[in-house]
Amino acid sequence: MSRVVRHQTATLRYARPAPPLWEVRLDLNVAPAAGTYLLADFGGPVREPLYPIEVDDAGFVANVARGHPATQLLPGTSVDVLGPLGRGFRLDTTGYALARLLLIADVGSLPLLRPLYQAAPAVALIVEATTRAQIPSPTQFPASLELTLVTRDGSSGYLGPIEGNGSAPVGIERAGARVRELLLWTERVCFACDPERYPALAALVKEVRLQPQPDFAQAFLRSSMPCGVGVCDVCRVVLPGGEVRVCVDGPVFDLLSFLEL
Amino acid sequence: MIDIAPNHKYGLSLKGPVMPAAGTFGFGDAYPNLVDLSLLGALVTNPVSLRRRRPARGRRLAVHRDAFVVHTGWPNPGVRTVVRDFREIWAHLPVPVIVHLLATQPGELAQAASRLSGLSNVAGIELGFTTGVSPRLAVDLLDAAREGDLPVIAKVPFERVDQLAPHLARHGVDAVTLMSPPRAVLPLLSTDPQMPIARYLRGRLYGRALFPLLLNALSRWAGKLGCAVIACGGIASPEEALACINLGAAAVQIDALLWRDPWLLNEIARGVGAPQPLTKTEAEAALREEYNGEETL
Repeated sequence: MSRVVRHQTATLRYARPAPPLWEVRLDLNVAPAAGTYLLADFGGPVREPLYPIEVDDAGFVANVARGHPATQLLPGTSVDVLGPLGRGFRLDTTGYALARLLLIADVGSLPLLRPLYQAAPAVALIVEATTRAQIPSPTQFPASLELTLVTRDGSSGYLGPIEGNGSAPVGIERAGARVRELLLWTERVCFACDPERYPALAALVKEVRLQPQPDFAQAFLRSSMPCGVGVCDVCRVVLPGGEVRVCVDGPVFDLLSFLEL
Repeated sequence: MIDIAPNHKYGLSLKGPVMPAAGTFGFGDAYPNLVDLSLLGALVTNPVSLRRRRPARGRRLAVHRDAFVVHTGWPNPGVRTVVRDFREIWAHLPVPVIVHLLATQPGELAQAASRLSGLSNVAGIELGFTTGVSPRLAVDLLDAAREGDLPVIAKVPFERVDQLAPHLARHGVDAVTLMSPPRAVLPLLSTDPQMPIARYLRGRLYGRALFPLLLNALSRWAGKLGCAVIACGGIASPEEALACINLGAAAVQIDALLWRDPWLLNEIARGVGAPQPLTKTEAEAALREEYNGEETL
């Protein structure tokens, strides 16, 4: 199926540190939605994907690594971009307004879900980190967000991993019960985690919701995507449900497609 | 019109000398609004095998300065599925289609080639060899591909140009593509500060630095093989395409550099236009002048 690829010129507004990464803001006519991406030409031999962590009518903000070429650009510099590309998070597939949304993320991938913080009247967010020091300050989140913190070592919040079972030391509560409660409550759940965890998380969703609708649970999958149109096969991966190209079939997939058959 | 297979009974006529390289442009349905296919000479498809091939595992892209290494495992659904899914698209393209077949075993290749016979607008086969192919096996593969009745182009690996190009030309290949990308290794950078280089990636090397290597191969072999030569490797401007044509290339293929600038195909096609290549004598004279008499062609 032929896909029209939009070609735009964006304008860099700023590039500033946001430890451990940098934030860059680009103004352009059509900004990417949550989970979609742009391929930007920063002078390297291949274009680089930019995923939005904030979106408004005039443009978007994305994270880049320290030392990235975008961090060397002056404000006002023009950047050649292709996109928006790919399939992002799909929140309006039911035909009625979403009332309750659950977001689940590793702390490293958390910014990818930031554009969804106010996508529904009631949004709950579960953030998982290895230890307390990695957890962002709760003041960084909107007050309307129902925040649940999980750490792998139990040093703060619930004891992870989210999909884990078993007993917990006295005085510490496992995340599992809390996650199950929120999965029962929500109308849609969006994940941004290590892809190796998706089969177990899909099994958890299947266990709690029995027969979830397609796209009830959606998962973000990060990959190298030099072409963005599905011709280079660099991002082709095998999921239990079949082969997909992350750049055009994703980067957001139905979590249940990760479920082991 | 350029006929790159004048000795074949059907020939392989191209309106222009510019085409995408195998593995860089899909099967004809990519970039519909960014690339005007009617300006090109042909469409070379992504590599196809007789049977389905799965993608490689792990990371497949490593970038280093102006070059990058790609290793995909050439995944494809197999020739039967490709033909089923794309034959209608191919039939309506404004340019002829050259199907790139992965040349591994003669028996499989013969079956794959025969499935392409008689398809509307499929005008040729390009063979992709592995780096380790022996000259004898390469000829067996060439003979197997001829069972498909279409003109056969051999895309010769960078490392094997000197052995395979003249050998295949002697055995009657219709055209030669110089060259498949070199194999190379790049480090995969990790985010772990304790171990910044955790692994390495071996694969196909792309980048503008391939262009002088391509010119070197062309200067050694174009005009000496007795068949048409198609240039491929690091071409990124109309001037570079013309440089290849002046050295005797009948056509040029644009490789993975077009992922960054898809419109490069049209820019080069417009820039090259109807080429007026130098005569062989003029090209040799130009090169001698460049080498200042220190090296002969």
